[in-house]
Amino acid sequence: MITIDRYLCFSLGSEEFAIPLLAVKEVIGVPEVTPVPQTPAYFLGMMNLRGSVISVMDLRLKMGIEAAYGEETTVIILDLGNYNLGVMVDQVNSVITIDKNHFAEKPNVDSSKIAEAIMGIFRKEQSLILILDIAKALSVQDRSVLNKKLSVA
Amino acid sequence: MDAFEIELKNCFLDEALQITAETEPCLLKLEKNASDQMNIDQLLRNAHNLKGSSIAVGFPELGAFTHEIETLIIKIKKSEVKAASDVVNLLLRLNDFTSKMVRGLKENFAAHFEFQNLVDEIHLLSSQAKASAAAQSSEMTSQFENDENTEFNQEISNQIPLHFSPLAQAVQALGSSGDESIRVGLSKVEKLINYVGEMVIIQSVLQEQAQKSESQALKKALHMLAKVSKDIQDISMGLRMTPIKPTFQKMSRVVRDTAQSLSKQIEFSVFGEETELDKTVLEKINDPLVHLMRNSVDHGIESTEVRLAAGKPAAGKVSLKAFHRSGRLIIETSDDGGGMDPKRLISKAIEKGILKPGSQMSDKEALALIFKPGFSTKDVATDISGRGVGMDVVKTNLENLGGEIEITSEVGKGTSFRISLPLTLAIVESLIVSYSEQKFVIPLTHVFETIPTRDHTVQYATGVGEVILLRGENLRLFRLGDFFGIKSTKPNEDLIAIVIRSGTEPFALLVDDILTQSQVVVRQLSPDLAGFSAVSGATILGDGKPALILEPADLLKRKINHGSKPIRTHFEGNAA
Repeated sequence: MITIDRYLCFSLGSEEFAIPLLAVKEVIGVPEVTPVPQTPAYFLGMMNLRGSVISVMDLRLKMGIEAAYGEETTVIILDLGNYNLGVMVDQVNSVITIDKNHFAEKPNVDSSKIAEAIMGIFRKEQSLILILDIAKALSVQDRSVLNKKLSVA
Repeated sequence: MDAFEIELKNCFLDEALQITAETEPCLLKLEKNASDQMNIDQLLRNAHNLKGSSIAVGFPELGAFTHEIETLIIKIKKSEVKAASDVVNLLLRLNDFTSKMVRGLKENFAAHFEFQNLVDEIHLLSSQAKASAAAQSSEMTSQFENDENTEFNQEISNQIPLHFSPLAQAVQALGSSGDESIRVGLSKVEKLINYVGEMVIIQSVLQEQAQKSESQALKKALHMLAKVSKDIQDISMGLRMTPIKPTFQKMSRVVRDTAQSLSKQIEFSVFGEETELDKTVLEKINDPLVHLMRNSVDHGIESTEVRLAAGKPAAGKVSLKAFHRSGRLIIETSDDGGGMDPKRLISKAIEKGILKPGSQMSDKEALALIFKPGFSTKDVATDISGRGVGMDVVKTNLENLGGEIEITSEVGKGTSFRISLPLTLAIVESLIVSYSEQKFVIPLTHVFETIPTRDHTVQYATGVGEVILLRGENLRLFRLGDFFGIKSTKPNEDLIAIVIRSGTEPFALLVDDILTQSQVVVRQLSPDLAGFSAVSGATILGDGKPALILEPADLLKRKINHGSKPIRTHFEGNAA
C-alpha cells in the first residue's frame, strides 16, 4: 500500500496545518465576496470562480483560531468531489511529501469536533504540522450552513 | 461486464427508447390508413432493428418479445391480419411494454419481465385470422426463428422492394429535418454554456476598460469581439433547445386513447412540431398538456349525437399548435366542442362555495374560475379527467415554469387554451435591485409593477403591519431586508415598492433602488446554502460579483417561519 502522499501546508494564526494535495483545486488571492445574509460568521459569502458561484468560508473562524488578516491571506479552493468550496487561511506555506507511517501518534484529547478532524501530527524539525481531514473540519456531512442554523433556532 | 459492454448496452437502450418513441406515431398512422405500405415497412424495420440489436448486445428477453411484435407486423404486411383498431391497440400496448422493458433494463441490465399474457394475446389475435393464412404464417414464424440476422435482412429487403428506394432510405436515416446530428451529454452542453457566460462577463469588463483607452483599433476589435461572443452565446444557448415534436406525438396518443375509451370521434391536428424549446422546460410541460388534451376530448367535445343534433360534423376537432412569439413559446390547444357558459360557471362556483352568492364578474373572469382549486363542471367525475383537481394544478405547474395560461371559450363553438412559456430556464429576465449595500435579483415574471412609495399612502395597521394603498387596494408592505436581517438607512419615501402577485397573497416589497433590468444566467446554489428558502439560485452580475436570485412568492413563508416577533423595530410612525 502506498503511504506516501503530498500535502499542502498552510498557517492559521501561529499554527501550521496540512491537507492532502488531492483535495486542493487551486490557491487564489482574496477574492471579492458577496455576503449572504443570515449565515454564520465563518461563512464569508459567495465568489465568482470563472463563472461558477462557490461559497467561501473562513477556516480560522470555523476552527476557532484568531484571524490575522494580512498580506499573505489566501483562499484555497477545495475540490470536494461534487462541488468546490473556498476556505480562507492566513498563509499558504509549502507542499510537503509525508509518509503516513511517520505520522506521530495523536495525543489523546477530549473529543471536540476539531480534534476529530485531525488525522495525525507530523513533526517537521522543531515545528508540528497538524494533518487535517478538511471535510470533517468543515463538517461537510451536514453541508448546509443554513439547516444547521435552523435546527439551532 | 467490462466498460465497453456496459457502454454498448447503454447506447443500445438509448437508441431503443428512441425507436419505441418513433414507433408510436407510425402505429397511429397505421390506424388511420392501414394500406400505407411505407408506414408498415417503417414499423417492420423498427421492430426488426430492436430484435436484432437486443439479441446482439445480450438482452435475449427483449429480443424474444420484439420478435413476437415483428411477427405480428409481418402478418399485417402480408394482409393475414387486418390492422383493425383492436390490433393497433394491442400493438400500442406492446410498444408501451417494450419501452417499459427498455427503461427497466436501463436501471438494471439483469431485469426480468413477465410478458407471456401479451404474447398469448398476439397469438390469439393471429389465430383468429383465416386458417389457411394461419398455417402459412406459422411456417413463416418458424422460419424466422431459425434464421439469423443476415439472411433475415435479405428477406426483409426482398419484401420491401417497391417503396423502398435507396434515396428514401437515405432521407429516413437523416431524420425528417435532413440535418445530421450527434448525441452530446447535457452536462457537456451546460459546461459550455457556463464558460460562454463567463466569457461574456469578461468581455463586458474589457469593454469598460477600453472606454478609457484612446486606441480606435482596440475599440474596433472589441466591438467585433462583442458581436462574435453574442453569436456564440446564442448558439450555445440554442444547443439546449429541442423540438417539441416528441411531446406532441405523445399527445396524439393521449387524444386517441381518450377518444377511444369515450367512444368519441376525434380529428386531431398538430402544427409547429419543429418549434424548439429548452429541454428542461419540455420535460415539465408534459403533464399539464396531457391534462388539457384529455379535458378537450372529455369535457370539450360533445358526444356524437349532440354534435349531429347541433349540425356539426360527427368527428370533433382538437388541435395543438406551437410557435414562438416575442421570445416566448406559445402553445395553443383548441377544440370545436360545446364551449363553456360563463353564467353556468358562476352558478357552479357559487354552489361549490368558491364564490359568494350574487357575485358579478366579466365573462373572462368567469372563465378563469376553472383554474380555482376544487372546481369541476362535470357532475360525474370520470376516470379520464378526474375530480376537478386538475386545472388549478395545471396552472400552478405552468406558473412554476414562469408560464401563463389563458382561456377563451364560446358557447357552441369550442374552447381554446393559450399557454405562454419562457424558452429557457437557464436565462431569466430580471430586475437587479439593491437593498442597503447588497444586490438581489428578482425574476421579472414575479414582478407585477413597480411604484415609488412617495406617491402612495402607507399606513400601519395593528396585527397586519404596514399597508400601502394602491388604486383602492390595500397591499401588505415589507422591506426586502426584513426577510434577511438587513437594515437600510434610506427613508421610506425614497424606497421603491415592487408589487408581487405571483404568490398566494399579493404584497409590496420595498427595495432601496432598482439598478437595472437584464438577463441573468442562473447558477445553482452551492450545497452549503441548500435549503435557503425564498432563494432559487445565484447568478453572476455584470460586475463579476455573485448575487442571490430571489423567489419573491416564497418570501412570505420565510417571514412567517422565522419572524414571529414583531418586525416594526425600524418603522417609526411613518404613516403619511
